[in-house]
Amino acid sequence: KKYTIGKIEVTGMVSYNEQTVVAFTGLKPGEEIFIPGDRLSKVLKKLWDLNLFSDINFYITNVEGDVADLELEITEVPELAEIRLQGVKKKSAREELIKENNLTPGVKVTENLITTTKNYIENKYRKDGFFNSKVAINTIPVEDTTGINKVNMVVNVDQGEKVKISEIAFTGNEMFSDARLRRAMSKTKEKNFFRVWKRSKFIADEYEADKEKIINKYKEKGYRDARIVSDTLIRKDAETIALQIKLEEGRKHYIGNIDFIGNTVYTDQMLSMALGISKGDVYNGVLLKERIADPGNPDAQDLSNLYKNNGYLFSQINPVETRVYNDTIDFEIRIIEGKEAYFNNISVVGNDKTKDHVIYRELRTQPGQKYSQQNVIRTLRELGQLGFFDAEQISPDFQNVDPNSGTLDMQYSVVEAGASQIELQGGYGGGGFIGTLGLSFNNFSLSGIFDKEAYKPLPMGDGQTLSLRAQASIFYQTYSLSFIEPWLGGKRRVSLSTSFSYTRQFFFDQIRRRADRSRSFDILGVNVGLAKRLRWPDDYFTLSQAVGFQRYDLNNYQTGLFTFPDGYSNNLTYTLGLSRDSRGINPIFPTYGSEFAITAKFTPPYSLWNGVDYPNLDQQREFQREDANGNLINAQGFRLRPGEEPIGDQGKIDQEKFKWLEFYKVKFKGSWFTTLKNFGGNSNLVLRPSVELGFLGAYNNERGIPPFERFFLGGDGLGAFSLDGRETVALRGYPNQSVVPLDRTSISRETNQDGAVIYNKYSLELRFPITLKPMASIYALAFMEGGASYDNFRDFNPFQLNRSAGAGLRIFMPQFGLLGIDFGYGFDPVPGSVGPNGWETHFIIGQQF
Amino acid sequence: CGEYQKVLKSAEPGEKYALAEKLYNEAQAENSKSKYRKALRLFEQIVPQYRGKPQGEKLTFLFANTYYQLGDHYLAGYQFERFTQSYPNSERIEEAAFKSAKSYYELSPRYDLDQTETVKAIDELQKYIVTYPEGENIQEANQLATELRVKLEKKAYEIAKQYHHTENYKSAIVAFTNFINEYPGSPFREAAFYHRFDSAYQLAINSYQYLQKERLTEAQGFYNNYIRFYSEGSPYYNQIQASNLDLETRLQNF
Repeated sequence: KKYTIGKIEVTGMVSYNEQTVVAFTGLKPGEEIFIPGDRLSKVLKKLWDLNLFSDINFYITNVEGDVADLELEITEVPELAEIRLQGVKKKSAREELIKENNLTPGVKVTENLITTTKNYIENKYRKDGFFNSKVAINTIPVEDTTGINKVNMVVNVDQGEKVKISEIAFTGNEMFSDARLRRAMSKTKEKNFFRVWKRSKFIADEYEADKEKIINKYKEKGYRDARIVSDTLIRKDAETIALQIKLEEGRKHYIGNIDFIGNTVYTDQMLSMALGISKGDVYNGVLLKERIADPGNPDAQDLSNLYKNNGYLFSQINPVETRVYNDTIDFEIRIIEGKEAYFNNISVVGNDKTKDHVIYRELRTQPGQKYSQQNVIRTLRELGQLGFFDAEQISPDFQNVDPNSGTLDMQYSVVEAGASQIELQGGYGGGGFIGTLGLSFNNFSLSGIFDKEAYKPLPMGDGQTLSLRAQASIFYQTYSLSFIEPWLGGKRRVSLSTSFSYTRQFFFDQIRRRADRSRSFDILGVNVGLAKRLRWPDDYFTLSQAVGFQRYDLNNYQTGLFTFPDGYSNNLTYTLGLSRDSRGINPIFPTYGSEFAITAKFTPPYSLWNGVDYPNLDQQREFQREDANGNLINAQGFRLRPGEEPIGDQGKIDQEKFKWLEFYKVKFKGSWFTTLKNFGGNSNLVLRPSVELGFLGAYNNERGIPPFERFFLGGDGLGAFSLDGRETVALRGYPNQSVVPLDRTSISRETNQDGAVIYNKYSLELRFPITLKPMASIYALAFMEGGASYDNFRDFNPFQLNRSAGAGLRIFMPQFGLLGIDFGYGFDPVPGSVGPNGWETHFIIGQQF
Repeated sequence: CGEYQKVLKSAEPGEKYALAEKLYNEAQAENSKSKYRKALRLFEQIVPQYRGKPQGEKLTFLFANTYYQLGDHYLAGYQFERFTQSYPNSERIEEAAFKSAKSYYELSPRYDLDQTETVKAIDELQKYIVTYPEGENIQEANQLATELRVKLEKKAYEIAKQYHHTENYKSAIVAFTNFINEYPGSPFREAAFYHRFDSAYQLAINSYQYLQKERLTEAQGFYNNYIRFYSEGSPYYNQIQASNLDLETRLQNF
């Protein structure tokens, strides 16, 4: 019936103003409402939602004609005034409990709060092995001057004694000894003085899980009927309990016939190959389940993935025992293949910095494609590897899955992560203060730099990398800038990389310990490269090209590189590379495929046209030694006497030779991956043979091979700080850059400090994964390798090697990249010593071997 | 400024209320951001205390509007929404509803980023349009809603176009077909028709011989779709005619 509200009265409240409550309800005297009606129940709900009242009632106190007076009776939930925790000694533990249960003064003390707090604390103690913990909570109303309804809360915690398990006894077990069964229980352990790393405690949940493990242990060995008939917990005393578990093992079973029913896509043979379990095998229930579907490992090659990776999203596979006779069980594997599923709409949400095109080009699932679980997983991984998103929070969302039409939509949700890094450091080293400022923007947007709106705080979202770095100390400065666009033009993976660097080094006066700014050595470098994924001969090929330019400028500065203190040298090169990478599946731990790369780097052949007579430079007046007045001098520095031949000035000759460097360099690298044995799942023992060759040559032998760009063999192969474009090649078992050509003697032109122009290296590596989780992949390896370097082809002997062998470990974590350690034994001597080089330890950062 | 600091630290909400309102009015008159900011600091302190009191209604509105004027659209949208929920009978409800929606509109990012805010803004604008068909801001609301819808269309179109650009023609055909079905009135519709045809055409002419006939025929179907809706003078008309001519010549081989 419809009434007009007369008066509204609020009773029962203590701390709130009557007016406030009425205003909150939104009811006004004079308003017309239905009683009973929708309006009042909404008001009731609104009040209940506040969680401030433990009881709310509406009454009609008086009705005169159409006018009704209302009374709203509320009972306020008391507020917490003070909390006291008794029985917990440590202050920090008390505070933690209060915080975890949110028992701050002012909180409304509801029944629910009291119960959850009690359960929470009891469980917390039980988890730590205090099986007998008891919690009692009392509330005491307090008189408060403000009249607000308040209570004090007293929480009595009796944690009891820590309970240990004195004995776990089994009965009914014949196949496995008590000790083996106890070992199968991973969390519930007997108390034992010697076992220090896992203490004996009783936690009910874990005990249940451990019982499951015992049964699984039986199931793995063919005892499919094994069960726990009963288990008893006996309290010995306050501190100890005993567990008695009564088992029934049943008999050992074997697999009989396995029939596949319902398969139209794959033949029985293919399926039974994929299943990997055949007639006569011991019945292993756990393995059988895993081979059909292993929820713990999305990459597993099990039956359901066989279907799910090929479009059959709706497939169902059920093993059914059809006949049990004696100790043999026949199976039917019933397969409902369902319709093939195709992706329809693919979308991405959550990208509030990274632009669509950067994400969509990485997606391996596209509209119209057949569903493949593998592609979904790969997409997730590859999106994670971009580094723009939090890899943990990328998730696929199946939407509008329609088994009738065979379509589904996929929505990837991502969460942006900070992709930029700032490096700012200062340190003391090398005779003075060194400061470094590095900025690296990994998701930069070059197109946004003129757009004012895009600066938040920097233009982001095009997936480009921009890094700037400056380092300075009192005697050197280095600046570098690089920019990478991974998809030039957006059509295909054509990456453009450009870099610019400038280094200036001043002469460091060791005695006065200061830089002499009038003497310097400058290096300027510019590099532009393009790398393109090819489609022919197959899409594993990448063609790369790069143009590089370096200028070395010496200003009264003596380095080991040049024989002249004043002068310059230019190095203009073009590099062409062709590589093929078909390694699979896991890029960190490939189990098949191969990787090849051949690169050629060359400079223009200046000597073809510049007409310089390089072999006879010392015959020419301008390259001969002279004194300050321009008079020719002899080797002792005196004026040339009649009859004496003028001699060439090596500095001037070298300046002429190195004005523009002239060389070509060819390198080849190849490695193969073969799985020797699969131990189930992803445990593959992988063999990786590899070969490497390199050759640096001159177009004009008279001009010779420059001392730049040479090969340095040995050690971990990590790039050392160097000015001369050297290439360090890893060879384990030897110190860094120690393997020099054997034919060098104390009188040969090259010293042991100089690099070689030819090298070769062979290695054989065995790898075995320890874990290949996305969080961290770890694998162990053993290797045998050999390598050598030579000064010319005459000395080249591919079998005269510095050999080594050893073992190591690699850890890959997405945040840190690849880290590793190798121990290698060198069987051959390094220059300057006799006998085997012996053990070397190498630390590896990044992908070197 | 001394007085402002004193009031800011005082415990008397009435004083704060008065000063905040004064600052707000001055800010409105002078269009001064710094005064809005000063007023905001006071509002932040007193709004919770006045919630449920008779002054609460006005205060909440001023508070929300201060955020709005300062360009903090995230909080403005939220506060206006809260206002419309708490005071559905207020006189300024229409303005609040509009400003709430417009705040979400302002939050909507460029088309190639996540469009959660855009969808929310369209929802809010639509709610406004339905609730206040005679409202003061109805014209602007319609215009904003259209603008946002076009933004969503552009997003879908550009994604489909990327499949075309990266030569994933099969995916492009599916994506453009979805686009055409989902956004019938879009300004990108003609381009979508054209690119769907072009995807099928490019796919066909780059196929093995034995697949060509079927694929060329499919492309021809898409050409006919285009021609049904667009005629000479349309931006893509000449291009599609040229491709279709080539297509027909090729089809004669079969």
